[in-house]
This record gives sequence, C-alpha cells and structure tokens, in this order.
Amino acid sequence: MGKLDGKVAAITGSTRSIGRAIAEAYLREGAQVVINGRSAEKGATAMKEMGGGPNLAFFAGDARNQKDCEGIVDFAIEKFGKLDIMVLNSGGVENTAPVAMMTDEEWMLEVTWNLHSVFWGMRKALQHMIPREAGRIIVTSSVEGKLGKPGIPGYAATKHAVLGLMKSAAREVGTLNITVNAILPGIIETDIVRDTGPSSAIAMGVAGYDELIAMFCAESAIKRPNKVEEVAAVAVLLARDVAAGITGTSFPVDGGTMPY
Amino acid sequence: MELQGRVAVITGGTRGIGRAIAEGFLADGASVVINGRSAEKGAQALNEMNGGDRVHFVQGDVKSREGCQAIIDAAIAKYGKIDIMVNNAGGATGHAPVIDLEDWAMEDSLKWNFWSTFWCTQMVLRDMVPRGWGRIINVSSLEGKHGKPGVSIYVTAKHAINGFTKSCAQEIGTTGVTINCICPGAIETDIMRDEGPAAAASMGLTYQGLLDWFASEAAIKRLNTCDEVAAVASLLASEAGAGITGSMISVDGGTAAY
Repeated sequence: MGKLDGKVAAITGSTRSIGRAIAEAYLREGAQVVINGRSAEKGATAMKEMGGGPNLAFFAGDARNQKDCEGIVDFAIEKFGKLDIMVLNSGGVENTAPVAMMTDEEWMLEVTWNLHSVFWGMRKALQHMIPREAGRIIVTSSVEGKLGKPGIPGYAATKHAVLGLMKSAAREVGTLNITVNAILPGIIETDIVRDTGPSSAIAMGVAGYDELIAMFCAESAIKRPNKVEEVAAVAVLLARDVAAGITGTSFPVDGGTMPY
Repeated sequence: MELQGRVAVITGGTRGIGRAIAEGFLADGASVVINGRSAEKGAQALNEMNGGDRVHFVQGDVKSREGCQAIIDAAIAKYGKIDIMVNNAGGATGHAPVIDLEDWAMEDSLKWNFWSTFWCTQMVLRDMVPRGWGRIINVSSLEGKHGKPGVSIYVTAKHAINGFTKSCAQEIGTTGVTINCICPGAIETDIMRDEGPAAAASMGLTYQGLLDWFASEAAIKRLNTCDEVAAVASLLASEAGAGITGSMISVDGGTAAY
C-alpha cells in the first residue's frame, strides 16, 4: 500500500536531482509519474535507471517554452488518463550577475524559467483540476524565495514571485480540494548547482564553487547542504490525501536557515 | 516502518492532536509514551489504541518541572531512551482582554504551553545530544504567528515557543537533533470544546462564531483535522526530516501570512 496509490503526477525538470528524487519517491508510493527534461538522452537514461515500467513516462520538453510547459499536462492526461499532482520544479540561472551588470537576456531567461514556467504549468494544471475538484500543486521555490543574496537578483526575485503566485492561487481554489504549496530548499549540490555554481560564485563575489557551498552551509543551523531526499519526503507529504488541510504554505527544507 | 525502534513521548497524548500523532507514530513502528492528567482518560486511550507493549501511559501534569521530569524519567525507565519528543500539551484558561487580564491566567498559560516545552526539551536534549539523534516537535499554533484579540495569554505563549524553537535549533544544528514547530489552524478537539467558549466570550463572540471566524480566514474555509497535523509530525520524526530544523510548519489551510 503506497501513500499515492492511484495518483498521477507530472514533474517538470525531473531527469536529475530534486525533480528526479521526487519522481522516484512518488513511484515508490504507488503513483504513475511523468518526468520531463529538455534532453531526450537524459530522459532515456533516467527512464532506464528508474525502472518504473508502465508507471513511468518521459515527456521531452523545455519548461522555458510555454507549449512544452503546457504540453506535459496534456501528455500526462493522454498517457495516464488524468493529472492529480503537478510539481513545478524546473528552474535555474545561466549567467547570473549583480543588478548593475545583469543583461536583459539573462534576466528574461530567469523570469521565463523560474516564474513564467510555473505560471504556465499551474494554469494548465488547474484548468484540469478545478472541474475534477481534486489536485495538488507543488512549486519548488528556494531559501532565496525569502532571503536574497548579492549577485543572484533574478533568482531571488523570481523565487519570491512564485510564492506570491502560490499564495494567491491557494486562496482561489481553497474550497475545491486543490492545494497549492511551495517547498523552499536550502542549497543542495545538484547537477545544476555544479554546472552553474562556479559562474554564480563569481557573480556573488565569492572565491569559487566550494566557497559558495560553504557560504550557504554557514548560514544554516545544520552546517551542511540539504539533500534531494529531504525535499522529496516533503513533496510526498504535500501530495497525499491527508495533506488536504495544508495549502498556501512555504515549506522550508533548509536546515534552519530562514528566520521565518 | 519508518520509525521502527524509535521511542516517542507525547505530552497531552490521550486525546486530540497528541493522540493522532501517537497513533501515527505507532503505525510507523515506534513505541510511544502518552501522557495526560487523567488516569481514566489514559486507560481509555490505551484500550482504544490497542498497541500492546508499544504504548505506555504516564499520568502527570506538565505545568511543573517536577511533573515534566517524572514523565521523561518514566519513559526512559520503560523504553530506555527518548528519540522523539512531542511537546503537545497546552491550552489556556482565564482569557480576558489585556486591560482586564489577571496575572494567574498569564502565568498558568505560560507554564502550560511554554515552560513545559522548555522543561521537556532541556531534559530530552540531555539524552539525545550524546546519542547524536533526536527529533523535538513543538505543537505551536497559527496563533504563534498571528494574534487574535482577547486571547493574548495563548498567543504570547505560542509566540514564545516559536522563538525558543528557532534559537534552540541554532544551538543544536550539528548534533543530529532537530527541533521544529507545527502551527495548526483551529481544530475542534476536546480541549477546544472545553476552553473555546470562554475564549470566544473574551473576544465578544459565541463559540460557533469563533469557529466560523477561524474557518473564514482559511483558504479552505473549514477547520483543520488532527490527522493533518499527525502527518507532518511523522515526516519531521522520520530520517528524511534531518534537514528540516528551526521551522514553523503551518497546517492551517492557508491562513498564516508567512
């Protein structure tokens, strides 16, 4: 008996790292899962490694593209007949910089990737969930959704913005058995952090990748990065039927970093 | 069985939220010590929970250090250790607007909610920290983040618990012990039925008016349930909860602003 037996979930940006850990946890709990990513190759690798059989499907698409972002919802419904759980996880930065040096291209990329994609996916999922009066929407925000560090203005701004979107949507659908929540992880050494961490470190004025990680750890009570499994456990809880009374919440998984 | 081999103590665990948490832990494989002031309610809870040797009742009142010590000592005597401490007992009586508030009411609420949390936390840390593993879960409230008129004795105590939790989390962050608060919205537990009418009167409302007010503030337009709180407690108690500390987790149907 899984905690998510009979549920169908879609997770943006889930061939690796946080999204992948959530997908694996959902599979273990009995859900049927659609994973998503830009690379068909990484999708095929993930499918093979996860071994989800008929309960797992991959949708190739870029969350920064509206058609792809909405397409994952259609794909899940076509593949598994409905969508119960939408995890809007995809996000990141490419070449972040302090405000004074931020390019329009990078700014637009970050707003599109971290905010527009969440809106597009949420709207499309809600259009399916509202008539059914059932659903769970989970947004991956960040400690930077409440804090803010130098050199990552776009990331901090968009991760704040999705919390406003989440709270507002939660109140719109509060009586329809649809919950909308966000998870706010602390730093996690995911592939994307390893890829973009060195350039982010320069923008943030720290010596390098190791120093970047150390800076986040120093701010936490646990003095270590978080783990993808810690985020996945919360994502399971929020997806469950018993979580019907939890909505509009910014759920921290940050080892005691945020003051509120 | 996520909590196999773990020992949990839940103050105020014979009914309501504490009881739901105890049942959740029991289902996950833990041994649980439940506490309450009434031997009769304790016996009834043991009978209903049907957990055999994995459930133990300790009669006692958390409003004194000695009372808390007796609960902790009894739990360790029974099961040898405490892995999970749920500071759940709480309530308030003698509600009045601040201008009319009597000292005994504030003192009693602080003892019941806040001092009891401090005492039990301090005592279990002395068992948990040397062993390098522990989970402390404080049942705070939506009113630990917000504030309603006429119930300042409760609001003050719950805010104090939140501050205490944040500070303690920073102290023990690297020890393998986490400490968090759950902040539930209004739930119609037995204690709410007992104390709610007086609280409502202090706000100038009927009891039903009080419940309606809480529901109207929530996105879900209903009160919460004990099971919703228990599910979060089970998560925080689990291995995966290791990365969550110093947090104020809302289980309030979208009421709290943060």
